[in-house]
Amino acid sequence: MCLKKTNTVKEGKANRYMKKRGMGEAKQVGTVNRNNASKQKMGGRKVESIKQNPFVKKVGFNRIILCIVLILMYGLFCALTSGAFAGMTRIMSALNYAYFLGFLSLGVTFVIATGGIDFSIGPVMFCCALIAGFSLVTYGVPMPAAVIISIVVGLVFGIFNGYLVAYWNVPSFITSMASMNIAKGVASVFTRTQSVSWPQANAEGGWYRQLVKMGDIPTGLIILLIVAVICAILLNKTKMGRYILSLGSNKEAVRLSGVNVKKWEMSAYVICGLLVGIAAIFYVAAYTTVQPGYGDTYNNEAIAGCVMGGTSMAGGLASISGTIIGVFIIALLQEGILALGFTKDVQLIITGIIVIVAVFADVVARRRKN
Amino acid sequence: MGEVILTMKGIDKSFPGVHALDHVDLEERKGEVHALMGENGAGKSTLMKVLTGIYKKDSGTITYEGKEVEFHNTREAQDAGVVIVHQELNMLGHLTVAQNIFIGREFKKGIRIDDKKMNEEARKLFDRMNIDIDPRETMSNLTVGKQQMCEIAKAISHDAKVIIFDEPSAALTEAEIAELFKIIRDLREQGLGIIYISHRMDEIKVITDRVTVMRDGTYVGTLVTEDSTKDDIINMMVGRVIYEDPKTENMTPKDAPVVLKVEHLNAGKMVQDVSFELHKGEILGFSGLMGAGRTETARALFGADPIDSGDIYINGKKVTIKSPQDAVRNGIGYLSEDRKRFGIVVQKTVAENTTMATLDAYANGPFINKKKEKEVAEKYVESLATKTPSVDQLVVNLSGGNQQKVVIAKWLTRNSDILIFDEPTRGIDVGAKNEIYKLMNQLAAEGKAIIMISSEMTEILRMSDRIIVMCEGKKTGELDISEATQENIMNMATREIN
Repeated sequence: MCLKKTNTVKEGKANRYMKKRGMGEAKQVGTVNRNNASKQKMGGRKVESIKQNPFVKKVGFNRIILCIVLILMYGLFCALTSGAFAGMTRIMSALNYAYFLGFLSLGVTFVIATGGIDFSIGPVMFCCALIAGFSLVTYGVPMPAAVIISIVVGLVFGIFNGYLVAYWNVPSFITSMASMNIAKGVASVFTRTQSVSWPQANAEGGWYRQLVKMGDIPTGLIILLIVAVICAILLNKTKMGRYILSLGSNKEAVRLSGVNVKKWEMSAYVICGLLVGIAAIFYVAAYTTVQPGYGDTYNNEAIAGCVMGGTSMAGGLASISGTIIGVFIIALLQEGILALGFTKDVQLIITGIIVIVAVFADVVARRRKN
Repeated sequence: MGEVILTMKGIDKSFPGVHALDHVDLEERKGEVHALMGENGAGKSTLMKVLTGIYKKDSGTITYEGKEVEFHNTREAQDAGVVIVHQELNMLGHLTVAQNIFIGREFKKGIRIDDKKMNEEARKLFDRMNIDIDPRETMSNLTVGKQQMCEIAKAISHDAKVIIFDEPSAALTEAEIAELFKIIRDLREQGLGIIYISHRMDEIKVITDRVTVMRDGTYVGTLVTEDSTKDDIINMMVGRVIYEDPKTENMTPKDAPVVLKVEHLNAGKMVQDVSFELHKGEILGFSGLMGAGRTETARALFGADPIDSGDIYINGKKVTIKSPQDAVRNGIGYLSEDRKRFGIVVQKTVAENTTMATLDAYANGPFINKKKEKEVAEKYVESLATKTPSVDQLVVNLSGGNQQKVVIAKWLTRNSDILIFDEPTRGIDVGAKNEIYKLMNQLAAEGKAIIMISSEMTEILRMSDRIIVMCEGKKTGELDISEATQENIMNMATREIN
């Protein structure tokens, strides 16, 4: 039973699938002895009754677990720092991290929903910020144009990835690995391998920083949540979302229904590219400076937020609200790790483990289903 | 017959929405060929998958060589001497015969694979079976029959004590079947237990010692083959189910217009110069052996695979079909033989699957009108009598027959006039099968034109108005139902094979 405790997230995910498929309680398959198996069954029944609660059913078991994890984590960090972690400063700092990561994670949710993957989002985000920032600082383009340039660069990469994957059938893993390097290279060539600093808040064109924070109002949070709602509508209420999820589940069946699967598959990558372009703006609005040749670590974090939230790496299942909570967990985690005096490297280890655990939980849930 | 080697007792297995096995018993003796019979979906294959560890049983006991056992995978079963020769061949086409037989347990010389030794050992196996196959031959160069022999050789090489044959004769020619039977008799002489799954009545009488009959996932009874007649067995198999009456004459109206005309269709090796006509209100059966090119013809016609040459006319007008989109636009619907892979999206609901081909009609601009979608799905759940708690149920939880109805609903929603049913009742239990038949007849009566591909002779004879027979990618015959018999269809179906 101790196994159960350490794997709360995993169990939660598994149970969510079980519930969705109406399969009743989980049966332990394998080598556990009879006695143990019946105990597991009893535990399953209890979880089952919680899941049948109308409130839990509406919000989603998995998301409630994630919220609890988020609150517990915050409490843990406060306790470990003897209360120094409490207060708005840390929260605002964590939110700054959550904004750009949120847009990345939302974007990659669409791609993962099709059953694909995008490892280029982090470097592409930096590429957007570098090209737009360099144009701004060196060539003197006005701020609104720089914002548009950033989004356009993101879109171009999205179209490039999507076209290769959907129309040429290049595996998304390879496509995005290649475009990750292309993004890094293009950014370095464009900026002659120099870092770029976007204007400070009080400088000319500094208004863009109010996208993140206007006085004491966390405008970034509001914008992120609005975009998340739009994404949720796209995914759950429109033809595009229906086709993206369906083809992620069974592309051939959708194609044989006479649907233009190539177009819809590509659209997921285009949305992702667009959101990556937006993420770049929020990155510089929070941190000002970008350096060429970096950005890979954000891939893992964005994907971690996404799969933790209940989006299946195998495609066909995605949750926007789950992604957002997942992003908050990652952002709080990195803030907490810094507050505890560890380096960023520790966070790399932890997000790496999160990805593996979340994906493994998904695999287990699928295996039980069969 | 010798002593009992294997006993399965009270085996129970459920899948979501289907009670696949309901307390089934089976007993196998040494030196016995034991037939396992039943209609499609009776649970024969499921029972064997439970035995060999592919599925885990919910309850019941398996006793093998006097000990209670439970195999967790086919490997464990193999090691114990219980081996299955599958209906679909699990061979790696680019490897040699010997490499296939010894895959996973290659002979080695140091770290190098010892191909010479493997070839010798394979040769010994073939000698023991009295057949002539070169172990060095590449697997894909062999005929289906020869590949089957290799599967058997592989089974024997595992030091098998019980060998299960899952419909081994489905893809074989007469001569190959004779050879197969010779091998099976040899194995019986050597004291092996043979479980033989088939629904060819004639074979059962020739080769088996006892027959166990299953129906709808339940155990019906066991007979000694010698003491029972064909009718005894059929009665046990069919039980209470009353089928649609078999057709004896063409029911298509005399003046029915041609809705689909295919001329000289070529698509790869499996579709060579196929021409035919399909009338309004007609059920056109496509018969032939496995690998005859029937599915390939349907897929080419539907735009799922590329067409090399040939003309397609719909309602007298020439059309170009390059993709399923083109086919659907022209009113063709395709119900695949493999529903799970090509028919339904299992993680989506009944309603979402129903509108999959017609979403534009159930959307305002980019937004889906879920209310309208639900209404149409409910309409078809009612008219097709689909058994589902609600249209919001995920299709993965429905039984095979009901999943098939959801696919039918998809094409009816689209208002397709030409429906291609590829093995419409494969993996569907008996009662539901009859409902699908009824539905197809009803659709034909309403003026839909239906192409039905089927490997079951009884299905072809029961449903078709006209029959087209294919063999090796060519059309080898066309018959009106009034002149069709099992014999003349079989003749045409093997015409190209020597």
